[in-house]
Amino acid sequence: MAIIDNNLSLRNRNKMLVGVWEDEDKLIEATSELVHAGVKIHDVYTPYPVHGLDRIINARRSWLSIVAFLCGMTGFALAFWMIYYMYVQDWPVDVGNKPVRFTPSWVPVLFEATVLCTAFGMGFFFFLRNRMIWGIQPELLDDRQTDDRMIITVETGDHVDENQVLKIMKAHGAVELRERIAGVQTAL
Amino acid sequence: MIHDSLIRERLVTGGKTASDVTRDIARPILNKPSTAWKVGFTLSIVFLGIFIVSLFWTLWTGIGTWNINKSVMWGWDITNFVFWVGIGHAGTLISAILLLFRQKWRMSINRSAEAMTIFAVICAAMFPVFHMGRVWVGYWALPLPNAFGSLWVNFNSPLLWDVFAISTYFSVSLLFWYIGLIPDIATIRDKVKTKTAKYWYGFFSMGWTGSTRTWARYELISLILAGLSTPLVLSVHTIVSTDFATSVIPGWHTTIFPPYFVAGAIFSGFGMVATLLVVARKVMNYENYITIGHLEAMTKIIMLTGTLVGIAYLTEFFIAQYSGVEYEQYAFINRASGPYWWAYWSMMFCNLASPQVFWFKWARTTPWFIFIMSIVVNVGMWFERFVIIVTSLHRDYLPSSWVMYAGSLTEIGLFLGTFGIFFTCFFLFAKFLPVINMSEIKTILRNRE
Repeated sequence: MAIIDNNLSLRNRNKMLVGVWEDEDKLIEATSELVHAGVKIHDVYTPYPVHGLDRIINARRSWLSIVAFLCGMTGFALAFWMIYYMYVQDWPVDVGNKPVRFTPSWVPVLFEATVLCTAFGMGFFFFLRNRMIWGIQPELLDDRQTDDRMIITVETGDHVDENQVLKIMKAHGAVELRERIAGVQTAL
Repeated sequence: MIHDSLIRERLVTGGKTASDVTRDIARPILNKPSTAWKVGFTLSIVFLGIFIVSLFWTLWTGIGTWNINKSVMWGWDITNFVFWVGIGHAGTLISAILLLFRQKWRMSINRSAEAMTIFAVICAAMFPVFHMGRVWVGYWALPLPNAFGSLWVNFNSPLLWDVFAISTYFSVSLLFWYIGLIPDIATIRDKVKTKTAKYWYGFFSMGWTGSTRTWARYELISLILAGLSTPLVLSVHTIVSTDFATSVIPGWHTTIFPPYFVAGAIFSGFGMVATLLVVARKVMNYENYITIGHLEAMTKIIMLTGTLVGIAYLTEFFIAQYSGVEYEQYAFINRASGPYWWAYWSMMFCNLASPQVFWFKWARTTPWFIFIMSIVVNVGMWFERFVIIVTSLHRDYLPSSWVMYAGSLTEIGLFLGTFGIFFTCFFLFAKFLPVINMSEIKTILRNRE
C-alpha cells in the first residue's frame, strides 16, 4: 500500500462521470444505490463530513490510530532514553545520597513527550496520506463543493455501464450531471 | 432511520441552509472591516504598545523595575502567568473534552475558544520567560548539552516539567486548531475574489477538496487529538499547580492543588469565552449560531466549576486548621484576616458567591448580565492566584523577612499589555479566519437525533 492515497488525485484519469447533489439524504441514497448496482465509486466530495459515506463506498478503515500508537511509543522511548542518559549516565546528581534511577518525577516529561510525538507524528502521516502540503493546487470539480454542493465521481472503464450510472444518479436527485474528459467537464 | 428531533432545541436557529452558513460566517472575511472592528483593533494596538514599552523598560533596566523582593519573588509576574494559562484551558476543554462527550453545542464556540487558548498561552509564556532576567539565555531551560560547564536540566523540578508541558500544550493545540481550520480555509479559498487572498487561503488549505476518504481520516485524527488533548490539558494545569505544591511553603504544600487548579482553569477559561462571545455574537451578527442556549450551557459550566473551586477553598482552609501544623494554620488565618484580607475576600466573592446567581434562569439567559459576570469571574480568578502567591510569600518563616508587596507600574503595564497581545491576535483572527467552524455547523443544521 502506497503511503500517499493515489485515489485523491484526478490527474491521468479515464473519462469520469460527475453527479452533483444539494441534499445529503439523496446523496446517501444515490451512493448506496450505485454501490448496490456494482458500480465502483471513485470518490464522493462533500462540504462537511457525512457520516457513514466512507463505509458505503467501501473505503478502507484508516490505519491512523495504529500509526498514532507507534509514534507515541517512539516518543516515550526517546524521552526515556534522553532522561536516562542525562540524569543517570552522563551526570548523575547526588541528592542526599538517594539512588539515581527512575523515579515518578520522570513521569511528567515522559508523558508530555509521548503526547507531543503522537500528535505530530500522526499529523505528519495524516497530511502525507491525504496528499496535503502547503501550496498544493486543489483539484476541484465544482467551485461550490466546499460550500453546499456534494459530488459523486465514477471513473469509467471496461466494466462500467455509463448509461446505468447516469440513470441511477438522475433517479436519486442529482441536480447536475457532467462528464470529465482529460480535465475538462461538459454538462450532460 | 434518521429523524428530525422533536424534543431538542435547535442549535442553529433561523432556518439556515449550508450556503447561508458559508455566507454569514465568511462575511467579515470577505467584506471590509467594520467600524467596531477598527475601534477594537486600535484599542488593542494601544495596549500592545503598553506591553512593548513596559518590556523595553524591564529589559533595559532589569528586573529591578518590578517590585518583587527577597520574600515575594513571584509577585504579579507568576500571578499573570497562571492567570493566562488557566484561561487557555477552556479552549481545549470545549474542543476536546466536549467532543469526546459528543456535546454538539460546542460546535459554535470551539473555534474561537481554541484560538483563545493559543493566544492565552502566548501571553502566559511571556511572564516566566522574562522573569528569568537574562532572557537571551532562556534556551538554557531546554535539555541541551552542557557546553557551558553546567549541569543538564533538573528532571526532578516542576519548573522543568512546565517547560515541557507548556510547549507541548501550545504546539499540540496549534496543530489541533489548524487541522480543524483546513476545511474552512478551503471554503474561504473558493469564495474570495482577490488574487492575493486566493493565493494565501489556497496555500494554507493544503489542496483540500472534501473527499470522503479525507473526511474519514480527518474525523479520526480529530478524535484521537481530542483524546490526547484531554489528559494533556489536565496535565498542564496539574504541573502548574505542582510548581507550588511541591514546595514547602505554608499554603502551597497541599495535595488538593492539582484538581483545584484544573477546576479553576476551566472556570476562568469559560469566563473569558463568555466575555468574548457575548460581544462577538452581537457585533458580528452571529445570534443564530451562538444562541442563548449556548450562553446558558456555558453559564452552567461556570457555576459548576466556580462551586468546585469554592469547595476547594473551604477544604484547604479546613484541612489547614485540622492538620495541627501551626504554620499552615497561620497561613490561612492570615489570608482571611491579615493585610491582604481584601484580596482573599474579593476572591471568595467573585469565585464562590457570585456564580451562584446562575441558579436563576434569568441570569443564565441575559447576555449583558452574563458579560458582567464573566468579567467578575476573570477578576476573581486573577485574585485567586494573587492570594495564593503573595499571601503565602509575604510571611516568611523568619519574621525579619516579613514584607508587603504591591505591583510596580512596570508590572501593571506588562499585565495590561498582555491584553493588548491577546486582543490584537483575536481581532486579526476574527478578520482573517472564520470564527465559527462552518463545516461542523453544517452537520447540525437539521437537528438530527
